Amino acid sequence: MAPSFEFEGKQVPIAQGDTIASALYRAGVRTFTRSLKLHRRRGLYCLTGDCPNCLVSVDGVPGTRSCTTPADAGMVVEREDGWPSTDHDLMRLTEAAHPLMPVGFYYKTFIHPRFAWPVAEKIIRKVTGLGRLPEDRAPDIRPTRHVRADVLVVGAGVAGLAAAGAAAERGERVLICDEGEIGEKVAPGPTQDRIRGLADEVRGFAAVTVLERHTAVGMYDGPMVALDGPRELVQVHPGRVVVATGAVEYHGVFKGNDVPGVWQARGAARLAGVHGLLPGARAVAVIAGEEGAPHVATLTDAGVEIAAVVAALDHADVMPDGVRFIPDGRIVRTHGGEAVRAVTIETEAGRQRIACDALILSLGLSPRDDLLRMGPEDPVVGAGDVVMPGCSLDEAVESGHRAGSGEADTSVDAAASHDAACPSMGDAGTVCLCEDVSVEDLHRAWDEGYRSSEIVKRYTTATMGPCQGAMCGLHLACFAKERSGGSRKAGARTTSRPPARPVSLEALAGAVHEVIEKRTALHDRHLAAGARLDWSGSWKRPFNYGDWRSEYLAVRERVSLMDVGTLGKMLIGGRDAGSLVDRVFPTRIEDLAPGRSRYLLALGEAGYVFDDGLVCALDDGRYYLTSTSGGADGMERWLREWADRWALHANIVNQTPMLGAIVVAGPHARDLLASLSDDALDPVSFPYMAHREIAVAGVPCRAIRVGFVGELAYELHHPRSRGVELWDALMAAGTPYDIRPHGLDALELLRLEKGHVYLAQDTMPDDTPAKLGMEWAVAMDKPDFVGKVALERMAQIPLERKLVGLRIGDANAAGDANRNGHRGDAIHDVAALRGMPLYAGEALVGRITSCERSDVLGYGVGLGWLRTDGDGEVPTALRAGDVAVSVVPAPFYDPKGARLRA
Amino acid sequence: MALKVPCPNCGPRSYTEFSFGGELRELGVTDIEDDFRRVYLPENPAGSQEERWYHELGCRRWFTLSRDTVTNRIEA
Repeated sequence: MAPSFEFEGKQVPIAQGDTIASALYRAGVRTFTRSLKLHRRRGLYCLTGDCPNCLVSVDGVPGTRSCTTPADAGMVVEREDGWPSTDHDLMRLTEAAHPLMPVGFYYKTFIHPRFAWPVAEKIIRKVTGLGRLPEDRAPDIRPTRHVRADVLVVGAGVAGLAAAGAAAERGERVLICDEGEIGEKVAPGPTQDRIRGLADEVRGFAAVTVLERHTAVGMYDGPMVALDGPRELVQVHPGRVVVATGAVEYHGVFKGNDVPGVWQARGAARLAGVHGLLPGARAVAVIAGEEGAPHVATLTDAGVEIAAVVAALDHADVMPDGVRFIPDGRIVRTHGGEAVRAVTIETEAGRQRIACDALILSLGLSPRDDLLRMGPEDPVVGAGDVVMPGCSLDEAVESGHRAGSGEADTSVDAAASHDAACPSMGDAGTVCLCEDVSVEDLHRAWDEGYRSSEIVKRYTTATMGPCQGAMCGLHLACFAKERSGGSRKAGARTTSRPPARPVSLEALAGAVHEVIEKRTALHDRHLAAGARLDWSGSWKRPFNYGDWRSEYLAVRERVSLMDVGTLGKMLIGGRDAGSLVDRVFPTRIEDLAPGRSRYLLALGEAGYVFDDGLVCALDDGRYYLTSTSGGADGMERWLREWADRWALHANIVNQTPMLGAIVVAGPHARDLLASLSDDALDPVSFPYMAHREIAVAGVPCRAIRVGFVGELAYELHHPRSRGVELWDALMAAGTPYDIRPHGLDALELLRLEKGHVYLAQDTMPDDTPAKLGMEWAVAMDKPDFVGKVALERMAQIPLERKLVGLRIGDANAAGDANRNGHRGDAIHDVAALRGMPLYAGEALVGRITSCERSDVLGYGVGLGWLRTDGDGEVPTALRAGDVAVSVVPAPFYDPKGARLRA
Repeated sequence: MALKVPCPNCGPRSYTEFSFGGELRELGVTDIEDDFRRVYLPENPAGSQEERWYHELGCRRWFTLSRDTVTNRIEA
């Protein structure tokens, strides 16, 4: 049985070399699409992948160009537009209603009454649109591959192949790509012969890679060119680029220019010459360039009756014998409405109507220069038709050689493109096939005051469809130039941006960088303990181990572990280490004795807090810094920036990946460590905010006594490779204390009870230490630090807002349960108030950034922003919804810090 | 547009390996108003500018170079 594919419930046979379009055409399909707004019939036109007329859905993928997609057995092909079908489209009626959908109707219609818009939008969405996204299909996300090459040649036509050959001869690594198979778009003849010959030569070079069916969709900084291939997206990073994408035939604009039966000559010749199919039985050809005559000959050979050829007089001698020749004529219109039945040609002698079923247009060439115009700088050059539309084969080869050998400096010349020949445009007809924009629409837009190509484009949406202006970009520029009286600015080609060709979301999705999941050394231990792990920046961290309130109690009442291996960890050495730390941070460093640590705030040059951490002075003059988990790379970058700018001798080692860290916290933390260590841990030898090198269960640790959770606590920084060993030893030795690890959920309440701020959760990008109530962490009397002058400036301006401690569910307001205090507070769902606005009376004065119910305190604790009055004062009696909130000084829990200093 | 960034350690590399540090800013400014202009009012020229680059996905070195913001041509 002959191979076939399914088309709207029927089987369509596939012949050798068929594209989807040629197979459908052979099966009798003439209407391939319906136009966007007016639902006019559209048939095959360019057959080079440039126009939007043949877009179909293939295996659920909408917007597939059927004229360049090979037909494969078993495909499921459907047309996309029209209701109930593309052939019988009841929405065709909308043309009668054209005045209701005028140019710019998006901006004009349904603005009033406002409530009508959602309804109108739904109807318009149904009437317009190109295809439907499949809903029941898993995305086929394609992998991205990166390729380097000395030279990338885009387009394997005559010029491109010549360029690839010339570059390869110089010993360069060449990648040449084409959106089809080499030579397939060209009808048999001298051009195709030349292409085949050059392709054989190019394939002979070992240093040349040929990528067929890879479409260059865009040029990006680098330069990087993205190629959309059948099962991959290729990002090419070339040393230089030769754009040899050729040219597309001028789109003919006249009344009835878009009905099935109007063909670009290349398309008609390809249909006849490659697929053996006739564009019509009887054709009229309109020719304005040298390329037309061979196409007419191809059609004649295939058996098409040429009713007449309309061309300039000097074409007479190249016309095949016996063809009726109409010199110096002009196409006025087609007749037939749904298909070509006749055309009207105008000459000096008057108008004549000629019966025919096909109109063949060879009107000249417009460079397919989107890519070239995306990358106008060195090292991107054009070759062949894209810079010299209509050049001869020899000129194309010559141009390719120059570009390939690096001699051409002819990147597209902006001035030249302004002066490019303009295609003629009648006073009626469809200019933009994709968006159904007519000549009249352009004039209407101009008359409404849109006076340049760029804004006419935006207003009418001309050039904004799937073909991205391949058909009408030049027409639009020429229109604007003419109406503006020749202004280069008004009539400039609109800016070219990726994608140059339609590209699927699946291809783009594959280009997203791989998601990096960072794991600490204890990852498997957390999983085994039943942890719920989730994203925290690029890390996966335990949020809880099943019951965060019991984890919380372990910290407050006994002892608990937390994996903080994610903390940023920097070691700073070199003779200027102290100077660097002192000058970068607002923290006082000079009196920080070896063995002591201090809270560290990091300010940007604008005086805004961007990170915090801890600084430890080591015995040998070096410093050890910690930063937030998400801030490690930024902290390293910041330190290196200032070391470089001040030319300081400081060596910075980011130890984040090589060190693990475990917090041991709770009233029994010291007892637990003492059972595993011989080192002195008593509060005199190892007080709060000190750090010591100790061995715990034989693992060397830098132990830092800190107090983020408000209890006696040690951070044990240790070699990552020994993390599991240390964790297991601590867990085992903690059995008598009913030890259990705690996750981020428990930490949230622990730190809130202490009023500790989470940067980025409680803060905003423009927070100064003053807004956060952290002036104590800034030594303004230091000679200098990054951000100091900015803080001095802002000290002269009243504070606009303050971060404050919040008591949520006030005992006096929340009902009987609270009268006598604490446990059993009526406000149970405090966490639901996160992010809620805060009111003082009826005035909106702030917002809650974090909050949680505290069973120990008997009320909700939180942090939040409040707007200040002119004197820097904030209101104290607040509400969030109907819950009473009051401002209280943090910390709420153990305000004097007796527990963490124990 | 072409954008290969010349790292003093590693030679010309794709810009995607670097993070951009913005315009080179003056050091040692102590006047409040001058500092405000320095921090908040960058020149943002259409043309040549001195700027900072950090080879984050490479040797992690900072350096200053001069680039034309219109053409991406790197001058030094």
